[in-house]
Amino acid sequence: MRLGYLHLPRFPLQRRLVESRSWVGRPAVLWEMIRGGKRITFASQAAQGAGVRPGMTLSEATAREASLLQAPHLPEETFEALLGLGESLLTLSPAFQVDDPEGLWLDASATHLSGGEEGWGEAVLAQVESQGLQGRVVLADQAFTARALARVEGLAVRAIPPGAEAEALAPLSWRVLAEGMKGTFLDGLERMGLTTVAELASLPPGALLTRGGTQGLLLQRRALGLDRAPFVPTPLPEKLEERLSFDWPATVLEPMLFGLKTLVDRLCARLSGRRRAAMRVGLTLELEGGDAALLSISLARPTRAAKLLLELVRHRLDGVSLEAPVVALVLSVEEEGPDPGHQRLLGAGPDGEAALEVVLSRLAGALGDEALGTVALRDHHRPERAVQAEPFRPPSHPTGLGLIPPDRTLDGAGPQASPTEQSRPSRLLTPPVRLEVQLRGESLLGVRLSGGWKRTLGLAGPERLAGEWWGKDAYARDYYRACLEGVGWVWLFRDARDGGFFLHGLFD
Amino acid sequence: MAAAEEKTAVTIEQLRARIRKLEAAPREEGSVLTTGVQPFDGLFPGGGLPLGQTVELCGEAASGRTTLALRAIAAAQREGGLAAFVDGPGQLYAPAAVAQGVDLPRMLRVRLPEPERLLWTAVQLARSGAFRCVVLDPDGTGVHPRAPEIKRLQDAAFRGGTLVLWLSTPRRPGEGTVRIGLEATAEGLRAEVRRSRQGGLGAQTWIPWEMLWPVLRSSGAQVGPAPLLPPRPEELSTVGSGPHRSGWHGHGAPRPGRDMPLPALGQMLGERPGRRPVRTVVPVGDGPLR
Repeated sequence: MRLGYLHLPRFPLQRRLVESRSWVGRPAVLWEMIRGGKRITFASQAAQGAGVRPGMTLSEATAREASLLQAPHLPEETFEALLGLGESLLTLSPAFQVDDPEGLWLDASATHLSGGEEGWGEAVLAQVESQGLQGRVVLADQAFTARALARVEGLAVRAIPPGAEAEALAPLSWRVLAEGMKGTFLDGLERMGLTTVAELASLPPGALLTRGGTQGLLLQRRALGLDRAPFVPTPLPEKLEERLSFDWPATVLEPMLFGLKTLVDRLCARLSGRRRAAMRVGLTLELEGGDAALLSISLARPTRAAKLLLELVRHRLDGVSLEAPVVALVLSVEEEGPDPGHQRLLGAGPDGEAALEVVLSRLAGALGDEALGTVALRDHHRPERAVQAEPFRPPSHPTGLGLIPPDRTLDGAGPQASPTEQSRPSRLLTPPVRLEVQLRGESLLGVRLSGGWKRTLGLAGPERLAGEWWGKDAYARDYYRACLEGVGWVWLFRDARDGGFFLHGLFD
Repeated sequence: MAAAEEKTAVTIEQLRARIRKLEAAPREEGSVLTTGVQPFDGLFPGGGLPLGQTVELCGEAASGRTTLALRAIAAAQREGGLAAFVDGPGQLYAPAAVAQGVDLPRMLRVRLPEPERLLWTAVQLARSGAFRCVVLDPDGTGVHPRAPEIKRLQDAAFRGGTLVLWLSTPRRPGEGTVRIGLEATAEGLRAEVRRSRQGGLGAQTWIPWEMLWPVLRSSGAQVGPAPLLPPRPEELSTVGSGPHRSGWHGHGAPRPGRDMPLPALGQMLGERPGRRPVRTVVPVGDGPLR
């Protein structure tokens, strides 16, 4: 199986530089609490230039460089970040394995779709660079070989032909083979004067096994390119979520927007990798003091366009007032759907989808999400319950013969309305308005409406609706369509419970 | 060979620039939406409701305004556009919209918690250009827009190439670029152009109800003062008072509107088989109503 290893030198620090512009070009380190002390785990090139090295204590590093920027390194966040990066590469690689904290193994079995192994590697790097990161890619048959070669300085993309692993590893220091190993055997090898992998590979296997046991054998198998460490794909998280913490609590919009752009880019890259699109996005603003403000953005049409999502989030933030500064942002996909793709029609406006989403977002921000929606029919006999509100998610208009839904005709018209729908008024009064009526025998002469008597000019019906006798909401109504003088056609009913008349609709 | 490629690239770039220019420009006023109600469409010089303008449909509560607006929405959707209904009173009834050809999932309905935002909402929708038809229904909300808001709405309609339909009443008229007065009678609608900058002022037409609701033509017959079907005595006495065994309620009872036939109005009126039914709508004349 062909594997690609993507090495991202000092990945946690690279990620930090993307999130905090103020760190770019300055000496900076990330540290971890190790044995009760703060020890440097990653140091930027500027910090290394000042003599700061990983493994140093933070106080020692600060003594060497007074202007050192520092932040704690959170391994779980790094793992999540690598996971997100792997997801964004799913369009190129069907599976990946996280190699915390600086790399990913990628399934490179479909490189022919990207112009060969070199082209595939370049595509991977292009995707990584679009997220502000830098890395190197090596393709090989063994996971260890790919990783070892990617971690040393060299070409941005390198493909090791099958069977040439030992040759490729030969000039490297034999120490690359011993990563993660400890023991006196390794010191012995050092004392023997070994320098390269080739020299170690040429030692008699029996002697290595005798002196170093399994450690010695493993070293040589690695040197010969025979290591068979399995590729174990990392499972994808169920929820798509990205988080960003600020160095200082944000009190104005600008730093938040910068952070949001980073989050949106990452989230959309992950959606793109999964071939999914967001239908509802949630933004949590974590405030100083422990409180949080939640914002939800519903989309009319599924999208994974970062520009559009960022604009919608910005619109939503416009009218928000917060009680405390923001310390962190969490952006999550609350509802997702398949990515429908997007094909613009000739004559369609530029960013036509964006215009729709932006205006809906602006209205939702001003009026509330519940103000916007559409209505759908329900299979219910009681007229006022025959409709229900639904989110507004209009399907795209069909653009070709093959795309016309089966229930629609060529001109876009929907299916024929049922007789019931054809007999319903265009306006429904909820609740129905009790009417004062004038009867002669069983003839309806007129009704009192808007303070005056309206003569009945015509009448049709009844349509007898009754039901829900098993509950408290039992109803039995005789519906009539009546034409009232000076008003027009109305929909009224006589309630069987008390014989009273009610105005329920208008044929407006 | 290189020269030919260069020429092609220049041509493509010129075409791109032209498309960008066309897309950035507001839509032409000439395009119209035809409702399919020919007498009504004939009132407008272009043969339909003009896009990019505010058209006011002014009439009483049941004068066919909403139905005509729904027809316009259906027309906008047939052309691939979206539509929005700013429902001030919250009375729009979806089954009737379906009957008029509206594709419900592609119609945004805005229910406002504050009626004061009614006009602002319509301006946003119209200006976005994302909706081909926006219906503004401020009926019963008590909203009375000021002149700058009305101007903004008209500008938004023009800018977005959107048809804005404003449903108003004679007591509280709107400020559309075009105003169509609607008056309901027993047989149909009388429509008249009461305001227009494009000619046709004073033009009138007659729209039979059957053109809007075919069901009004085929729903029975009666002569003289309109009789009602007397409710069944057992219904009046038993509904809502517990389990029933009258044959009308309970398990096995006919389900209304599905497997229970509606009462035949003709039989009730003494109609004989084979006799041709008379029209539904018959004036009562000078009845005893005083």
